Amino acid sequence: MHIHAYEKFWLAASILLILLLIGSVTYGAVGPGVAMVADSEPPIDAQGLDEDERFSEPRVEQVGENHYAAYVVAYQFGFEPSPIVVPENSRVTFYITSRDVIHGFEVAGTNANTMVVPGEVSEITVETDGPEEYGLICNEYCGAGHHVMEGKVHVVSQEEFEERNSGGDDA
Amino acid sequence: MGQNQAAHASTDDVSGDEEFDPIGTLTLIGIYFVILLLAWVYIYYIEFLGRDLVVVG
Amino acid sequence: MSGAVESKQSFVDKYPEEARIVRAALLSSFLALVLGAIFGIIQTLHRTDVARIIPSTDYYTLLTAHGVFLAISFTTFFLVGLFTWALVRSLDRPLLNTKITWTWYAIMATGMTMTGVAILAGFVDSIDMSADVLFTFYAPLQAHPLFYAGLAVFIVGTWIAGADFFRTWLAWKREHPDERIPLQTFMVLTTMAMWYIASSAVAASVLLFLLPWSLGLIDQVNPTLTRTLFWFFGHPVVYFWLMPAYLLWYTVLPKIAGGRLFSDPLARVVFVLFLLLSTPVGIHHQYLDPGIAEGFKFISMTNTMFLLLPSLLTAFTVVASVEYGARQRGGTGLLGWLTDLPWRKPEFTGMMLAGLMFAAGGFSGMVNAGMNINYMIHNTIWVPGHFHLTVGTAVALTFMAATYWIWPQISNKAIYSRSVGLFQVVLWFIGMALMSNAMHAQGMMGVPRRTAEPEYSGFDYPVMFGGFEELNIQIAIGGTLLFVSTVLFIANLVLTMGNPETTGLAESLPPALSGPSDSPRVLDSLRLWFGIALTLVVLAYALPLAAIINRGGLLGPGVGTYPAWTTPVLDALAGAVTPLVGVVGDVTASLVGVIG
Repeated sequence: MHIHAYEKFWLAASILLILLLIGSVTYGAVGPGVAMVADSEPPIDAQGLDEDERFSEPRVEQVGENHYAAYVVAYQFGFEPSPIVVPENSRVTFYITSRDVIHGFEVAGTNANTMVVPGEVSEITVETDGPEEYGLICNEYCGAGHHVMEGKVHVVSQEEFEERNSGGDDA
Repeated sequence: MGQNQAAHASTDDVSGDEEFDPIGTLTLIGIYFVILLLAWVYIYYIEFLGRDLVVVG
Repeated sequence: MSGAVESKQSFVDKYPEEARIVRAALLSSFLALVLGAIFGIIQTLHRTDVARIIPSTDYYTLLTAHGVFLAISFTTFFLVGLFTWALVRSLDRPLLNTKITWTWYAIMATGMTMTGVAILAGFVDSIDMSADVLFTFYAPLQAHPLFYAGLAVFIVGTWIAGADFFRTWLAWKREHPDERIPLQTFMVLTTMAMWYIASSAVAASVLLFLLPWSLGLIDQVNPTLTRTLFWFFGHPVVYFWLMPAYLLWYTVLPKIAGGRLFSDPLARVVFVLFLLLSTPVGIHHQYLDPGIAEGFKFISMTNTMFLLLPSLLTAFTVVASVEYGARQRGGTGLLGWLTDLPWRKPEFTGMMLAGLMFAAGGFSGMVNAGMNINYMIHNTIWVPGHFHLTVGTAVALTFMAATYWIWPQISNKAIYSRSVGLFQVVLWFIGMALMSNAMHAQGMMGVPRRTAEPEYSGFDYPVMFGGFEELNIQIAIGGTLLFVSTVLFIANLVLTMGNPETTGLAESLPPALSGPSDSPRVLDSLRLWFGIALTLVVLAYALPLAAIINRGGLLGPGVGTYPAWTTPVLDALAGAVTPLVGVVGDVTASLVGVIG
């Protein structure tokens, strides 16, 4: 098949570009260790969240040395708990599920972003830095009140975290 | 039908005769390639990986 | 002799019935464009808080209409009209049976009307019918059954259109047994072949799950399953939009530039690549879905990156064809030839600007495709920023530009005002540049898409490439320019339709510089490529779909997993494929280890 030399060159450059893109993404997965939201958590009954130990009482709790779990329920039209208070400089695993329809969970301006599907639990682990207040947005259309569905994620100092959590966080 | 016959006649004329070298295209697309590369490196390594709350698990 | 007389006959002179069909399809397309544009301007001004004239809850009705009318109706009706023209013109023969043609057109129109009514009824409180589910209609959000039924009817109409095209080609083939498929026909057939594969999943989702569920025949559906079936269709549909635009860039734009297509064989290769690769990539729209394994997402990512190839090749071939035209007109120098082009012609400038904008859209597409970088922009307004560059400009602007060229040939009426046409296409480009640029910037700040009010009470967005309010103004201005441009386009067309008929409007298309005979015959083996495409789709989707059904049940938790006898079969399949995936993963990891 007749292909002009320049076009052959461009074909090679294109393939190189594609490999570079795949390589970058692979690097992201392997180097900094960016992990994708996946099927790590077993399916759940969206109608039965009250019977689930994690989601009947959405909260943040310590689960390991500097490792915290945040159990979050998304619903029409808000998030529980709100605000989600987590300590600075720690590892936080969010477990998020929905009571009704598909929602989004986006910590505005950051890389913490996931779909929230009824029947499934989204598990994402992040490392917090210094104290910061983030907005939490539902970024998947979920009905007439979608635009008022918001929450907060507060990264606070260790002392403040203990203070706010000591009363039991069932906001 | 007529169209195809005309096509055969013309390609016989052109190929092997004077080959058109799209050097302008190569230049333009080369510039595009460089822009893509730089933009990608910026947006992936600086913007994306530099953000808060990277998902690591 | 007879060739010379025929070349003076326009398309409508030679094929009056087919021309009527093409006009009908294009007009249906533009009706959808008008409605979509009206909703678009209301949305733009509402979202940016410039003018909120409707309650925010109605915004979602508007948005559903905007998405469905523009991304399904406008695009598809234009496609079937354009393809009818291209097929008949390149085969130089009429359609097999125009009764069938009018039938599929009527079916499509009926389906779209059904869906449209269901959506628009959402504005009327007294009618208990609505479809506020957006273009993607994700369950458990539910629309009125008429919405789903209309979509199914519409899709069936397009299937019959495809059959019509194939049958007409086969009739031609019987009369021309050893000839290569003419390029435009080749493009029509490969696109429709891809469409059959792509639309099958969403048709299944609608007919097996969503429609019965909305009728109350079944209790619930599996949201992840119906979502996945949607995106099985949802990615290739963008190529269904793009491939008609590519047909125009490859076969018509060179002519308008005064040149010839640089390479017919490469154009064929590109279309075959789209047939093969468009569908096995849908999971890249679900990178952040729970319930889908990372391995499937990674495979989708690599497939998607390779899907860049046909578009990158297209950029070269199309620009080279235009450069050829410029040099034929006397253009010289490395880049100086760019001035020796017919920039005064709206059809030329429109398509060139569309292509330029597509180059930018390609970049944001790469970011979308980049699996983990998706965290940064998923479901933000970056995504609409991206697709307004691609379907919104590369496709829509090309379609408008092409109309200036093709309408005279299918109606024997000259365009009312070519200068308004030129102004309109440039205005579109400027409006889109402003709007889309601001959307990308806001997306990087985390501003969400698909919302009536992106400002929140509890927090402010970070200031990045401009402030939130500034960028809102930019979006509003851009959107307004787009609306004005649309009005000018439609007005120009309506006034054109009022023009008297005339002669001398025929246009012919020159042969390619490198013709079909320069390519291997195997390219024309549609059956082979269709078979490979099907195989790739099965490989990409069998395991994910099986896993999703196994996790959540066919109809939702606890309701009907797939029959037990299929378990050993699927296990065997998984057993065969997993080591392969593992090897790929290992090789990649070690490569990274060597480099990193």
